[in-house]
Order: sequence, then structure tokens, then C-alpha cells
Amino acid sequence: MTQQVQFTKAVGNANEINELLRRYGVKFGIYKNGVFNEQFFPFDPIPRVITAEDFKSMERGLAQRVNALNEFLFDIYHDKKIVRDGVIPEDFIYISKGYLAECEGITPKNNVYSHISGIDLVQAKDGEWYILEDNLRIPSGASYPLIARDLTRIAAPQAFEENSIIDNRGYAELLKSTMEYVNCGGERAILTPGRYNAAYFEHSYLAELTGSVLVQNDELFVEDNILYHHTYSGGKTRIGVLYRRISDEYLDPLTFLPDSLIGIPNLMEAYRSGNVAIINAPGNGVADDKGIYYFVPKMIKYYLGEEPILKNAPTYLPFYEEDMKYVMAHLDTLVIKDVAEAGGYGVVFGSDLTKEKLEEFRKTIIAEPRRFIAQEVIDFLDLPIIEGDETVMRKADLRAFVLSGEKTKVWASGLTRFSRNPDSFVVNSSQGGGFKDTWVLSR
Amino acid sequence: MKRVNFFYSTKLTFDDYVHDHTFSLRIIPPETNTQHILSCSLNITPYIPTKQTVDAFGNNVTAGYMRDDHRFLDFEIKGSAEVEHLNYRTDYMPCYLYQSPYTKPDDALKAFHDSVKENCTGTAADKARYLCNILAETVKYEKGFTDTTTTAQQAFALKKGVCQDFSHILISLLRMEGIAARYIAGLAFCDGETHSWVEYWTGDRWEGIDPANNCAVNDDYIVISQGRDFRDCAIDRGVMFGKYTKQLQLVRSELT
Repeated sequence: MTQQVQFTKAVGNANEINELLRRYGVKFGIYKNGVFNEQFFPFDPIPRVITAEDFKSMERGLAQRVNALNEFLFDIYHDKKIVRDGVIPEDFIYISKGYLAECEGITPKNNVYSHISGIDLVQAKDGEWYILEDNLRIPSGASYPLIARDLTRIAAPQAFEENSIIDNRGYAELLKSTMEYVNCGGERAILTPGRYNAAYFEHSYLAELTGSVLVQNDELFVEDNILYHHTYSGGKTRIGVLYRRISDEYLDPLTFLPDSLIGIPNLMEAYRSGNVAIINAPGNGVADDKGIYYFVPKMIKYYLGEEPILKNAPTYLPFYEEDMKYVMAHLDTLVIKDVAEAGGYGVVFGSDLTKEKLEEFRKTIIAEPRRFIAQEVIDFLDLPIIEGDETVMRKADLRAFVLSGEKTKVWASGLTRFSRNPDSFVVNSSQGGGFKDTWVLSR
Repeated sequence: MKRVNFFYSTKLTFDDYVHDHTFSLRIIPPETNTQHILSCSLNITPYIPTKQTVDAFGNNVTAGYMRDDHRFLDFEIKGSAEVEHLNYRTDYMPCYLYQSPYTKPDDALKAFHDSVKENCTGTAADKARYLCNILAETVKYEKGFTDTTTTAQQAFALKKGVCQDFSHILISLLRMEGIAARYIAGLAFCDGETHSWVEYWTGDRWEGIDPANNCAVNDDYIVISQGRDFRDCAIDRGVMFGKYTKQLQLVRSELT
């Protein structure tokens, strides 16, 4: 009943909020057939509401998961105990594209690898939350609920007076303290590849919120293994922590891809010397590999000696003979994911395939079992969205943001993404979906 | 045990002035079980302050940055060392078991491996020697057909190459055999320029083999750097800005 009231209050202002978002330039970029387009990310005014009780257990589960993932990353780039103890087969680590041998032995400041983790969850019809995937390579999206909340406050102030919604504006302070915790002495900087990047809006917005300088690579240089920013007056200022949105392999042309034009030469030397923190740490891709996802509950037990609070979606690894048998027998009902792909690409629902395609796919899996994971399709809860004058039900997920500073904290908000297509389970923004605000109630 | 003097120099000359030149050199031989560095001096002209680190593979890295305009950059090392290859190194890393960008085999190289694997038996050392012999019969040492960007599969298709190419192909074959192998860049008596060879893991130590000369590695070899393939070992890597940056590189090395 109370929810219904909130909905209608906010609904009346849907167009107004979308108009404001447009005016503020809240967009995301997308490459389609080699052409860059900026798209408006449609906002739906009906919030996802998470009760205080639900959030409490989710919060514990997410912090637990991210703590284990951070321990795992430290272990993989140092002693590799989890491999030696036979919990994860060696192949899964070293064949992963996200594993970077160049990062062996490097210890980031305060042992934090994943400073900002985006954990994607879905809620099943029975109310249970399932982890869909971990994003540990600087996940994007936090700025959308932030700015949408700001605008909703303007458009529908009553909704916030009548409901006990936790203020999500604390994200700026949370992010700032996460950056400060690993600051190696110097300014905070946010590195963007420029305005033709999918998340350029977010980079500039977060820089403003956290009081960081927004920089591009040609303004930075490494001298005496210290990262500096050329100032307009011709001088230089030291950078102590770099939030970057550039993939690892483009980060430093003298360590990784030699032809990268968007990197900073010798950044890795400054990083290795402990003179600058890189957020998130290079090499994190080994932990959010879809193949490694299967092992995260085992990691929680291994490193923390705890039972996982949040469940993985039931997952099978064709790499294991027993799982391969199951996958072959149930291919038409499972969702198959290519471990090397991201952003909703490389996701195939067995039920969508014709008989021939299914057989073809079967052969691909048998030929390259390490390349795929298979999951049961979770019948997840539909959320109401406004379409024209109607309210319709659509699939939605939640990206929760977990920040690891002195303590691991879960932001009491998040990005709820929904699918516009009534038959689709894929909610990624790059696949044409929209987003909602996520309200966490304080009681 | 052998006492050797080493010398290596590179002269980079640019067509026009360059600036904001960042470089990293892997040029200072590491102190290891098999080589004790008695002396080593590094000279860079023009003078540029540098910093030293050790990378993930155990290489000495010298990093520098020159903001002002310049038209050349020279660096040289000079020193002496005691080499005892029978002391063996044991610094294993699991990544050496997996193919890397330069060693990744294509269908032709995989088919070649399939055709020889039946006779490739015995210990890791037996297999390495066998593969090295086969390689010497299959690929011809010839300069001018490959360069530093040539991969194992490209060199194998040409059936021609230099030490770098022989190393990459042998590493690719060893890894297909399930033997961990790494790329070594260094200096050797048998070569006027920098040399490259391979180390394979016997189960408890590294053993050197020189595929370009089809022989075992002895005290006549000095290691400068090591890694999964050439990319981890490049003696100099740099990024600079300028109008025309055609560069001329002159390399001279000596082991006495």
C-alpha cells in the first residue's frame, strides 16, 4: 500500500525528471558497427524499494563476498595458496585473460585490490537474492542513481518526506574516503579516455563530487617513478591516487600493449614502487572472470572460514566432466555465458536456439569447455515500469556498489537496470535498457 | 666457472627533436645463482636521472623521463661477472607453462607438434633436445626475414628466422608438450649482437638450451632479462613525442 503511494507520487513527474536528465546530459556512449553514439539512458520513476531488513543481510553478504575476492587477488599475485591447496584448478587462473603475470608480487597500498566493486544481483520470485556476476574492474553506473535521486528530490519532494529513505548522497564521501585510504601522497585524480567513452558523463560527475582532478593521459607523466600532472602554469603536481577508466592492457605502453595511445608510460613502475595507488588495481580481471565466479563461494569458505551469505545462481562448469554431462543433457533450458565477453554480449539462452544452432553450440562447448559457464535461468522478480500510460512488468537486476577502504561498506542505494523488451532477461545499458532509482528504507 | 666481461650499447638517433620521452630499459644483468655480477655500470647520454625497480619476472628495470627536446639517446652497460651455469636457477612461475602472445601456435604449428610428438619422449631434457634438433632441421637461420614483432607462428610459416624466432618456436613447442619454458635475452660468445635462448623447467630447476645454435647453454652465456616471450624482455622500450620520429638504432655488444 505505502509503495503504491510512493509510485504514484513519483510517476506524476516522470516526464519532468527525464527532461531534466536530458538537460543535464546524463548519457552513456555506445559503439554500434564502429560508430559512436551517445544515448539517453531512460529513467523510470518507480523506484525499486529494498526493506531495511532485506538490506541488512544483503549488506553482510556483499561485504563478505568482496572481502573474500580481495583476499583471493592478494593470494593469486603472491603465494597462490588456493591453487596449491587444490581449491581452484591452476588452468582457471592462468588461462584467464584477466590474469596479468606483470602484476606478480606487487602489493597495492593496504592490500586493497578491488576498491570499488559492482556486484550484480537479481531477486527471485521467492524473495531470495542471487549473485549474477562480480565486476571488479571499476564498474560504472553509480552516478545514474545519484543524479536521478537529486532530480527526483526536486520533482517530488513529498516522496522523501513521507518515506524513510536512506539518503544516497553519501556516495561522494564514501568514494572520497576510499580513495584517501590508499592515497600514496598527492592529489586525487580521475583518468578518463575522453568524451568518446561510454562512461564519460560519470567520470566528470564523480570528479566534481569527490573534488578530484579530471585528467586525460597526455596531462600526466612519470618522473623518478612518481606520477605527475602538468599544471596549466607549467609546473607539476604529484598524484597519489588514480581512479582510472582505462582497461589494464592499455594502462602503460611500456608494460602492456606497446601501441596504446591512451596509457601513461611507466605508470606501472610508479605503481610497483608504491608511489601511486591505481583504483581498481590492475590484474583484477582474474577474479571477476565468469569462470572464476563458480569458485567464489569456495573462496569465502577458504579465506574467511565462513558460509556464504548470498547465493550464486546455480552454475555448471563444462570443464568438469560431471557438469559437462548435465549441461549436455539440459542445454535447451540453461543460459550459457562466454567467459571472455562482457556487457551482456556472449550470453545465449538455450531455449532461444533452433535445433541446428543448439547442436552447433553443443560442439563449440565440447571443443572449448573452459570458455563457457552454464547457469540455471532464475525466474526473477519482475518490477513495474511505466510505458506510456500503462504500468507494465519487466525483468530487472541490481548493481550494488561495495567500497573497500578501511572497512568494506555497501552503498545504501544502487543501480537498478531493467529490460525494455518484455521477453528479455538482458538488462545491460549497452543493450538498450533503462534504469530506476533504488531506495533502501531505513526502517 | 668462467669470468667474463660484458659490454652492450644502444644509440638512438632521431630525425628531428623529440620531447617527453619516457623509457624503460631491461639492460642490467640480474644477480642470480648462475651469475655473480662483479661490476656493472650504466651510462646514459644525455644525462637523465633514472630509477631502478625489479619487475614480476625478476628483471632489473631502469626507468627514466626526459622532458626537454633531444635528438639522441645513448645507453651502455659495461661490467664483469662470474658465470657458473651448473648452479641452476629455481625461480619458477606458473605462467611459463601457458602460451603467450608471441608463442601462441596456429594450426600449422599445432599440426607440426602433432607430427613430432610421437618421437618426443623421455625427460624434459630429452624432449627439449629432441625438439631443438627437429627445429634445426626445419627452420633455417637467416637474417632479414623477421623482426622484433614476428611471432612463432609467422616465423614457422617462413621456415626462416633468427635467434628470437627460434626461441619463440621452441617455447611454443615445449609448452604444447606441457613443459614450462621461458625466453631469455642476453649476451653470448657466439654472437655479435644480443642473443636469445630458452630455459625449460625440468621439474626442480631451469636448464638452458640455445635453439639458434642447437646446443646446450654453458658458461659462455650471460642473462640480461627473462620472461614469457620477447615482450617481457625487450632491452629498451620508449614513448616520445615529436614531428618526425624516425629512429635509427645502433647496437653493439661484446662478451670477452
